[in-house]
Amino acid sequence: MSVLSVEALRKTFVRGLARRRTEALRGVSFAVEPGEIFGFLGPNGAGKTTTIKILMGLIFASSGTARLFGTEVGRREAKQRLGYLPENPYFYDYLTVVELLDMVGRLHGLPAAQRRQRASALIEEVGLGHAAGRPLRSYSKGMLQRAGLAQALIGDPELVVLDEPMSGLDPIGRKEVRDIIVSLRRRGKTVFFSTHILSDATLLCDRVAILVRGELRDTGPLGQLLSPAIDGVEVLYTADDELGARIAAGPGQHERTSEGRVARVADLAAANAVAKAVLEGGGTLLSLAPHRQSLEELFVQEAAAPGRGAEAGS
Amino acid sequence: MSALARLWAIALNTFREATRNRVLYVLVVFAALLMAFSVVLGELSLHEQTRVIKDLGLAGISGVGLVIALFLGVNLLSKELDRKTVFFVIPKPLHRHEFLAGKFVGLAVTLALLVAVMAATLAVVLALEGGLHDIALVRAEVLVLFELWLVVAVALLFSSFSSPYLSAMFTASLWVVGRNSGELRAFAEGKLSDTPIGALLSGVAAVLPDFHAFYVSGGMLGDATPVSIHGSFIGWGYVAQAGLYGAAYGGACLVIAALLFARRDFT
Ligand SMILES: Nc1ncnc2c1ncn2[C@@H]1O[C@H](COP(=O)(O)OP(=O)(O)OP(=O)(O)O)[C@@H](O)[C@H]1O
Ligand SMILES: [Mg+2]
Repeated sequence: MSVLSVEALRKTFVRGLARRRTEALRGVSFAVEPGEIFGFLGPNGAGKTTTIKILMGLIFASSGTARLFGTEVGRREAKQRLGYLPENPYFYDYLTVVELLDMVGRLHGLPAAQRRQRASALIEEVGLGHAAGRPLRSYSKGMLQRAGLAQALIGDPELVVLDEPMSGLDPIGRKEVRDIIVSLRRRGKTVFFSTHILSDATLLCDRVAILVRGELRDTGPLGQLLSPAIDGVEVLYTADDELGARIAAGPGQHERTSEGRVARVADLAAANAVAKAVLEGGGTLLSLAPHRQSLEELFVQEAAAPGRGAEAGS
Repeated sequence: MSALARLWAIALNTFREATRNRVLYVLVVFAALLMAFSVVLGELSLHEQTRVIKDLGLAGISGVGLVIALFLGVNLLSKELDRKTVFFVIPKPLHRHEFLAGKFVGLAVTLALLVAVMAATLAVVLALEGGLHDIALVRAEVLVLFELWLVVAVALLFSSFSSPYLSAMFTASLWVVGRNSGELRAFAEGKLSDTPIGALLSGVAAVLPDFHAFYVSGGMLGDATPVSIHGSFIGWGYVAQAGLYGAAYGGACLVIAALLFARRDFT
């Protein structure tokens, strides 16, 4: 059974007296299985937060279904097994992080001793030990994000939903959040998070869904979404002018950089030929790098394909 | 049981928010100053000193309480929406109506504490001037608290579908009309009886919250018997009756507010 699933999900916002309509979601379907780290990717305004808000019971879908643990969203029993970090989290800023965690612990029905013990462990885990006694009002954006992560985890949820968990964090903070996400999976939890920071998704996700303008473009393991084929090889080497000129006369594109000479050729066979020529001619081979399509490029390519969107949307 | 625990978690948080707001303390100090002023005023009125202190003290508790109840009541929900804290709290394992009830209970507890503090201040001022904070005054203060709770329930209902400014205006106008419900009724049953306007007015008087029932000292009750905290004041039976009325009216407001709140999009 899927931990989280949406089917043919649509959401149209209607604004103001003019009844202006915005189609934020146009029939989105995907499912997240137990124990996986699922990345929800998409450019700004794609509808990631809208989907998550429907799943969290904050807004209601115009049509389609959204389920958590196999039941319709909004049920308390399902929310009991859920931890959620909102986008740009806002909390009761007059509370300290200890009081905030205590409140969430109460809502999860934890006894007092357990609330205290889990709260202090989590505060250490997210690195807020030094600021535990201060009201949240005095926190920086990154500190709030950490407090948000702690409150999402205090109920020991089976499913953790994070809307842009890395936003506002410095590189160390990003690494710490990644470590927390990985450790959640190790403990058998399911993690669903949205992001547009592609390197984070590349590092973490078992599967991703790519959402563009309210429509799902692709779902699957990142490795499959990326073309496994090599679309070019870069050979970096040093050589004297005579050898360099000889190689540059061959196939591919050639240029000189501060690091050395670069040959961009189509495939590994051509790259090997360049390498052989370099070595035999007395040059030095610095590197040979096959180039595969990156998530970044996939993302740009998907986002820039308007034709497909219009077909599926009508 | 656990539903109560969840409700209390929200209530406790609401209580913390209110009591960490400085405006609250400014208003309580204002009430204390009013009582101090009543001592001065009492000095001027020869033998009526404790009488003046009691009247002004009770009016001060009611007035300050009403300002706080209105101000915090209309902001109870809108603050959560404006500050986007609903995004954090609604996905937690509680029902939306539990959240709403928790908010109400938290403010109700805050107001109870506030009235108690102001009543204690009044008792001290009275004792210093050789007067007595008698049981009739306690009954009057309990009624004041009931009125404040009803104001919060009405404010919560309005704020579940309109802005805080509009809610404050609606609630305040209802309170003004409700405090004068006796006049409205007398008008409808006197001069205008048997006219369509009279019927309309008595209908309105029956539907609107009867805030007058909670502030009876110095006024008339039912069949024109004068009541005052200095002489013949109402008994506990009346207080209980007024409390039941407030509970029924306020409860209805909260149920409607919860129904409106249940299907709302938090965007
Ligand atoms: N309350 C609203 N009223 C009208 N339109 C809305 C509302 N909320 C969102 N939208 C629109 O819905 C679309 C999706 O927004 P959403 O916030 O879900 O995007 P997102 O993928 O989370 O983007 P980001 O990466 O910037 O957070 C956008 O076009 C947005 O303008
Ligand atoms: Mg978003």
